[in-house]
Amino acid sequence: MNNWIKVARFHLADRISYTVLPWGVLGFDFLIWLLLAAAAGGGRSVQIPSGAILAIYVFFAIAGALSIFRSLPFAFALGIGRRSYYAGTTLLAIGLAAVYGLALSMLAVIERVSGGWGAGLHFFRVAYILAGPWYLDWLTSFVVLSLMFFYGMWFGLVYRRWNVLGLIAFVAGQILVLVIGAAIAGSDQAWPSIGRFFTTIGAAGLTGLLAVLAVLLLTGGYATMRRVTV
Amino acid sequence: MTPAISVAGLTRRYRDQCALDDITLDIASESITGLLGRNGAGKTTLMRIISGQEFPSAGRVSVLGSSPVKDDELLHRMVFIREDQRYPNYGAPGFKVSSALRTASWFYPNWDAGLADSLLADFGLPPSKVITKLSRGMRSALGIVIGLAARAEVTMFDEPYAGLDPVARKMFYDRLLADFAEHPRTVLLSTHMIDEAAGLLERVVVLDRGKVVLNAATDEVRGSATSVSGAATAVAEFAAGRTVWDSRRVGSQESAVVAGPLEDIDRARARTLRLHLESLTLQEIVVHAAGHVEAGGPSGTAGPAEAVGPAEAAGPTAPAPERTSA
Repeated sequence: MNNWIKVARFHLADRISYTVLPWGVLGFDFLIWLLLAAAAGGGRSVQIPSGAILAIYVFFAIAGALSIFRSLPFAFALGIGRRSYYAGTTLLAIGLAAVYGLALSMLAVIERVSGGWGAGLHFFRVAYILAGPWYLDWLTSFVVLSLMFFYGMWFGLVYRRWNVLGLIAFVAGQILVLVIGAAIAGSDQAWPSIGRFFTTIGAAGLTGLLAVLAVLLLTGGYATMRRVTV
Repeated sequence: MTPAISVAGLTRRYRDQCALDDITLDIASESITGLLGRNGAGKTTLMRIISGQEFPSAGRVSVLGSSPVKDDELLHRMVFIREDQRYPNYGAPGFKVSSALRTASWFYPNWDAGLADSLLADFGLPPSKVITKLSRGMRSALGIVIGLAARAEVTMFDEPYAGLDPVARKMFYDRLLADFAEHPRTVLLSTHMIDEAAGLLERVVVLDRGKVVLNAATDEVRGSATSVSGAATAVAEFAAGRTVWDSRRVGSQESAVVAGPLEDIDRARARTLRLHLESLTLQEIVVHAAGHVEAGGPSGTAGPAEAVGPAEAAGPTAPAPERTSA
């Protein structure tokens, strides 16, 4: 555990990438949407959904990939083992996701209370998935941020282990799974029932499913980590 | 003494080549061993496997009695700075020399910050400098600082002084020896600067094309070959019954490399034959061992293989294939 924290601290030497950059990008993103919303509705009954909050989730995937890509060779030089490195990086992901998820849910509360920042803007609130009570929003953000980081980590590991060819195979494999899934759903005419399923389980149920997916990604990444070389 | 590093039957194959070919080797604890050989001989691959960075295709590796790929705790007792060591690379504020040292200090219980500081000063390495902006030599110096200050039980340097000037290299040898005397540990050092480092090395292991072709105490190796030159007939007479590694003839003059230590009586005989004797330096011997004698073929591999095992017990080694027998 002690070494895990040290690995997380080692990553955080890159303070800008893990703190200033995500919030800087999101803040800039937010300001633009706020100006757009103000121009469009002026705070009256207009509702402006943006979905632009996606930026921070994408950012987490990139951060996950970089956490492997940039720091692994030096970590190995210092006798940090594969298990410690993976656990420490996971710890960093979970820690950041918890703190940032809480911040996002608090911002969503402020957004609700202030009537969309006085401009009817839905920036931190996203219909269906991030529209519940603050603690559920927090949990959902936490799970999705972690998931994105783990996903990015796996990408970084595949690249380290098998280079570009591995990356292509990795992406192709995922596309194949999605296409097969969609084909099965289409042939069974299951789309409407799939839609109903997601409506029934709601944000909480979906968060649970995503948590399972996050654990799967983490496990897959670990299997790759055990074979990675520098 | 039980060896600190022990590998047996170690093989590492890559798609189109065999980087390590059935290597069996013990490195004694609390010793400084030189790992020598040409580019592509397998030195880095061997060190990467010992440090758990790479996996063997076959064979067994044991470091301090444990497996480097299974035991994370073991790795904290090792440090391995590579020639092409990469450091985290990102924008502002950047990964600085001081960041690298601070990170290293967290992972080594015996980390000596005082030693690190004095080495920084000696090498003229500014702590606030971003690593990616360092020159080649300065980056090497940083690797040396980390490797020495870590005081890890197993310390490995892969060609640690690429781009370093002779003064800085001398400093490295001096500081390594001084610190080793106070805090003995197992040091494995790969280098091309063989004669320069010779004074440092207790043992040398020479790799060639993935095989160990020489593994012996430096002192034994050093006296193990002599260059004999003079009149061709006299050289032939002197070399009769000895192993000759290499000989060159220009006109009536011949120069031959004779294996095996020379006794006083041999030297006296050389004087009467008006022969000029010159001990081969460690580097010259290694050059012979590492396949410079390009005889190749079946006889080319027979010589080196013999030298591996018994070299530890027996005195003189015959690292190179027999080329010309007088």
